[in-house]
Amino acid sequence: MLKTLSLSIAMTMLAGSALAADTGYKLQVDGMTCPFCVATSEKALKKINGVKDASANLETGVINVCTDGTVNFTDDQLKAMFLERGFTYRSMTKTKTCSADDSTQKSEDKAG
Amino acid sequence: MAASGTAFAAPITFNTALPVSKGEVLLRQQFIVTNLSDRLNGMKRDVTVRAGVSVLGYGVTPKLALFGVAPLVNIDREIGPMNSNFTGLGDATIFARYEIYRNDRPGKTIRIAPFVGATLPTGRTGKTGDGSVDGFAGLIFTAASTNWNFDSQIKYVANTRANGFARGDTVSADASLQYRLLPNTLTASTKGFLYGVLEANFTQLQRDWLGSNINPNSGGTQVFLSPGLQYATRRWIAETALKIPVVNELHGTALEPDYSLVTSLRFNF
Repeated sequence: MLKTLSLSIAMTMLAGSALAADTGYKLQVDGMTCPFCVATSEKALKKINGVKDASANLETGVINVCTDGTVNFTDDQLKAMFLERGFTYRSMTKTKTCSADDSTQKSEDKAG
Repeated sequence: MAASGTAFAAPITFNTALPVSKGEVLLRQQFIVTNLSDRLNGMKRDVTVRAGVSVLGYGVTPKLALFGVAPLVNIDREIGPMNSNFTGLGDATIFARYEIYRNDRPGKTIRIAPFVGATLPTGRTGKTGDGSVDGFAGLIFTAASTNWNFDSQIKYVANTRANGFARGDTVSADASLQYRLLPNTLTASTKGFLYGVLEANFTQLQRDWLGSNINPNSGGTQVFLSPGLQYATRRWIAETALKIPVVNELHGTALEPDYSLVTSLRFNF
């Protein structure tokens, strides 16, 4: 009985994990002007568990972040993280996929 | 000495107000060759200074960065029939820079940062060092974008007396424009920028003191133009600039500089 229950829980957890779809974020970060700024920002994001990839567009200041679906960024978290790197976080947009297109899932959050 | 902030595009011959991230360490290794020469009353005077300058910077907070500068110096003097050659540690410098203004926009930023520091008598007095503790302070303005950067700095150096000698105080003003030459357009795969750099360096030097007397053959006004190239990648920068004197109005028989070649590598960890 106990063995069956454990197996059921394990299978439920595995199923839950498998169901977590990749989720994308577009972060608006101001003050990035050079390749190093990009590297610093991308490195900081990739240290976060669940972040699979991050790439920045210097001209627009938009960083596309691909996560495994387990990450829930908050404005306060991102604001503090980019402040430490010397940049200004403005806002984020959550997207349905990790592609670089603009299909958004939720309205934009403003960090102020 | 030019510590600069980080592996952003930055001036080659002085500092930038761009930040050092919190907890980040940067290392800059400069190689500077300066030649001064003339012929005074038929006597040849030729001095060559070669310096390997190591700069270590650390971001204490996003606004406060600390720097240490240690030069290894070789001075080769040929004054008429007298020759001398000294090699050793020069006078080390420590300073702090604090950002007081920041205005960030997409792909653009403006920063203003004052700095204050001191030069310590770590060199051999009269040979590779002055023997005095000298203070300095200044202000840096930086406007940066993805296409170009502009930096300017004003700095005052208050030199003190040691062993009866006091070098004159100096006031300097510097400006630097770094313009991106390559690539023409930015893509996600852009890994590095090549900048053309043009810098101008103005220095007003007061006369030195020897005991209770002013040295009449010291002090004056110097202006340099420094064209250069800089290649900035995600982790390192390589750069070179040639400081060419365009105004050399030094008092009396003070030896005037011919040129100064600055090359350096910067790394971020």
